[in-house]
Amino acid sequence: MSLIEVRDLTKDYRLNVKKRGLLGAVQSLLVPEYKLKRAVDNINFSIEKGEMVGFIGPNGAGKSTTVKMLTGILSPTSGSIMMGGLSPHKDRKKNASRIGAVFGQRTQLWWDLPVADTYDLLRYIYRIPEKKFEQNMEMFNDLLGIQEFMSQPVRQLSLGQRMRADIAAALLHDPEIVFFDEPTIGLDVVAKEKIREFIKKINAEKNTTMLFTTHDMLDIEKTCKRMIIIDQGTIIYNGTVEQIKERYGRSRTLVAEFAQKLDRIDLPAGVELIDQKDNKKYLKFNRDEIQVSGLIAELTSKYNILDLTVTEPEVEAIIREIYEGGIDFDKGISGDSKKSLSEQYCVPC
Amino acid sequence: MEHKKFSKLELLKLSLKYSKLNLKCTLEYKFDRFFTTLAVFVREMVSIAVMYLILTRVISIKGWQMNEMFFLYSFLFLSYCIFIFLFTGIRDFDNMVYTGELDRYLIRPLGLLYQVISARVDYCATIGHGAVGVILFLSTYNSVGIDWNFRNIVYYILALLGGVIIQTSLFMVSSCFSFWAVRTTNLRNLIFFNSRRFAGYPISFYPGIVQKMLIFAVPFAFVSYFPSEYFLHKPDLSVFWHGCLYLTPVVGIIMFTLVYIFWRLGLKSYSSSGNSMY
Ligand SMILES: Nc1ncnc2c1ncn2[C@@H]1O[C@H](COP(=O)(O)OP(=O)(O)OP(=O)(O)O)[C@@H](O)[C@H]1O
Ligand SMILES: [Mg+2]
Repeated sequence: MSLIEVRDLTKDYRLNVKKRGLLGAVQSLLVPEYKLKRAVDNINFSIEKGEMVGFIGPNGAGKSTTVKMLTGILSPTSGSIMMGGLSPHKDRKKNASRIGAVFGQRTQLWWDLPVADTYDLLRYIYRIPEKKFEQNMEMFNDLLGIQEFMSQPVRQLSLGQRMRADIAAALLHDPEIVFFDEPTIGLDVVAKEKIREFIKKINAEKNTTMLFTTHDMLDIEKTCKRMIIIDQGTIIYNGTVEQIKERYGRSRTLVAEFAQKLDRIDLPAGVELIDQKDNKKYLKFNRDEIQVSGLIAELTSKYNILDLTVTEPEVEAIIREIYEGGIDFDKGISGDSKKSLSEQYCVPC
Repeated sequence: MEHKKFSKLELLKLSLKYSKLNLKCTLEYKFDRFFTTLAVFVREMVSIAVMYLILTRVISIKGWQMNEMFFLYSFLFLSYCIFIFLFTGIRDFDNMVYTGELDRYLIRPLGLLYQVISARVDYCATIGHGAVGVILFLSTYNSVGIDWNFRNIVYYILALLGGVIIQTSLFMVSSCFSFWAVRTTNLRNLIFFNSRRFAGYPISFYPGIVQKMLIFAVPFAFVSYFPSEYFLHKPDLSVFWHGCLYLTPVVGIIMFTLVYIFWRLGLKSYSSSGNSMY
């Protein structure tokens, strides 16, 4: 059995339907009417101990909702979550001492106090032994450089500093499982890199199990082997990052710089001109159908070419295409088929 | 990490830790917090001055002397001061829901109500109201003719704590609505502080409907009037059932029990509906 087992997990939010006008106001007071919004729709996945899994999807896909259920904040509408034999919601207190969570959009530090004070409080809350506390503080300082702003009130920290402090706070008690909900949001490239390095290191050294939501594909590529893509509440992909490149990243772009500006060129079937700039032309083709060497040979025989480069698509671009519906997953690879969003009306008795 | 239940002692220590951090926060803005405290103090003292001016013209109403009125008034301030000191979090609960602080408490291995209560202390309101209460009490406890023997002291403490729990329950009812993303703070303040103003005078002054309200709906009569009557035995008590003198802690405990059930219900709903306030 895996450390985290999610079975048929569904979450409906209940939205109050407010009616217009005075009569409507009275009516919704007496007979409140709700609209159900399905945020997570029957998802299944499991995560092994020590695994690091990326959890991505467009805005409103249901990532945060899933993380809230995994951390025990929300109860599932149906389905189950098992975390090493415990249910995060029903055994909330018990489970809480072995998990950690970072919500990038919000801080868990005391706003008006130095970071050190929050850490000190957490030491009591999680009953962290003195020695372990000091070891961890030292390690976090080496990797995240928190010492430099330890005595500054949190409200004076930059976003990057605050995020580092927050991540350290979530990991102080050596949790077995850590959930990151957008831990790199709003950070610059250097700060992001620092956090990725840190997360990787903790995962490697302490064998911590991690689930990581983000909108930055680089985060996933650099830290996780596996990723889960969720869209409109359903999982549309669950597999390795490599596999997605392998299967869906078959297009190649050949950038050819010609000696002079050409108004039109003859292209073999299957090659598409997608862009042009000055003397450069961007030619897209599928590597399974067309051989690069053949294409280059054909072009050089007809035209005077100065420079040639072939590029693979970035995972980022593949993901974008998936979000936009350009790629259809076959059931074989992702397991779940895409379902339409269900919205129902109901009036409680 | 193995989870062991927290012992009472550990929870108490942790509460002290929270209070210390709150004090540190308060001192972080010494200047501003000092004036907040002063503002609370002055505001309440003004209401007492107004009462004083009115009473000096009437001399006594229904047999109540000025010092007796102030003794009654001191119950309101002292119990409110203790309520704020212990349960600021309940007063500020809707804000915790709104800012998502509540979600943070839910990922900690501690009880939710414990954290709500421990996490905040409003020292300004505690000191502001406390100072008024202490001044009123010290200037009257001797002159109203109370024999401060052991039995009376025990009664006094129990009545004060009962009053604290009654006010806590009233605030908590309103907090519970936050679980359903319904903000009732303004309604609560309207009801609470106006009832409290009524309760600054002996309830026998008022028409029957107001009396009933202060006994059955917003039972402030048990916070100030009945405990004072226990000590003062004014003739106007005769219209009320005598047992009321001893009911303050009972009313407090019953109210709190009911409200606590409501709270559990609210929490359940919160975790199933999420929270659409942010
Ligand atoms: N408390 C709530 N009440 C009602 N609906 C909600 C609530 N929270 C989220 N939703 C809805 O549920 C859906 C999923 O939201 P969720 O926050 O899980 O998305 P997400 O994947 O985290 O998005 P993002 O990338 O923007 O953070 C959205 O349609 C959102 O509007
Ligand atoms: Mg989110």
